[in-house]
Amino acid sequence: MFPAFPGIAAWGLVTGVAMVKSGLTVAMALVMTLVAYAGSAQLAVLPLMAAAAPLWVIGVTALMTNMRFVIYAAALRPWLAAFTAPQRLALGYLTGDFPFVLFMNRVARDGPFGHRDGWLLGMSVAGWVVWQLASVVGIVAASFVPTEWGLQFAGTLALLALVVPALKNAPTAVGAIVAGAVALVGHGWSYRSGLLAGIVIGMITASVTEALVGRRAVSR
Amino acid sequence: MSSGLSTSETLLAVVVIALTTFLTRAGLIVAGDRVRLSHTAESALRFAPACALAALVVPEILFPMGTLDLSLDNPRWPAALAATLLLLRHTSVTGAIALGMTVYAIVRGLS
Repeated sequence: MFPAFPGIAAWGLVTGVAMVKSGLTVAMALVMTLVAYAGSAQLAVLPLMAAAAPLWVIGVTALMTNMRFVIYAAALRPWLAAFTAPQRLALGYLTGDFPFVLFMNRVARDGPFGHRDGWLLGMSVAGWVVWQLASVVGIVAASFVPTEWGLQFAGTLALLALVVPALKNAPTAVGAIVAGAVALVGHGWSYRSGLLAGIVIGMITASVTEALVGRRAVSR
Repeated sequence: MSSGLSTSETLLAVVVIALTTFLTRAGLIVAGDRVRLSHTAESALRFAPACALAALVVPEILFPMGTLDLSLDNPRWPAALAATLLLLRHTSVTGAIALGMTVYAIVRGLS
């Protein structure tokens, strides 16, 4: 998690700046970062809010951008037996892309490692603190943050750093390529539905690839 | 530039966005073992991290302004390519960010 902090901070900062530059007041931007805490969804709805789009369009766009969290929760669920109800609620608020991917990478490597519940919660809290600090700086100092540096790209690079090592596994690589391609083709689709379509079609492709590769290996 | 929504409409929109985030993240985590998934679905979920990251990252790299840009006016793709080549040899988030942002700055400076 710690190496990902610069990426999380850069992305949080840029999201803070984007909220204010799209016309939100400082107070409203602070409310949004604290209660919504979903960078991708926030960035997706800002142009819609600036254009005074209907509430349901804003809601459906946020929902589609966030639907990947349902998949994340489904993947996390078998590992969370030790969690109490309040801890589950806390995770439900805190667990974004980075803690999820880092946790899944760790259990893929180490299996059900000790204190994994505390590990996930701790990573999620740390990610939240870094994101919120950066986002508040972005909101308060929006006019002083240079947008031409492409700071948001540091967040993209941090996510890239988490996915590339997983591509050495052939079915994962095929699934990721298909997921990326579908997300690319579906970039302009309504309500950001290309993102969810990419993830689901990628997962199905990876599973089918694995089944085919496995069957061939057995028949040899 | 001012927001097109009134203060109360903006607040309502923020609450709706927050609800979609919380319900999608927390739903299955809170439900826990009360929800059962097929073996096929559980197995496919192993690919969720890589597929989600790819679907998030690829458009960010190739569609910087909402349209496909494979020219050097888009410094993101050479930067991502350099970072990927590094990451295939050596897993380092810090290294990927440092190399990627350096290439990004150089390509920007050249074009």
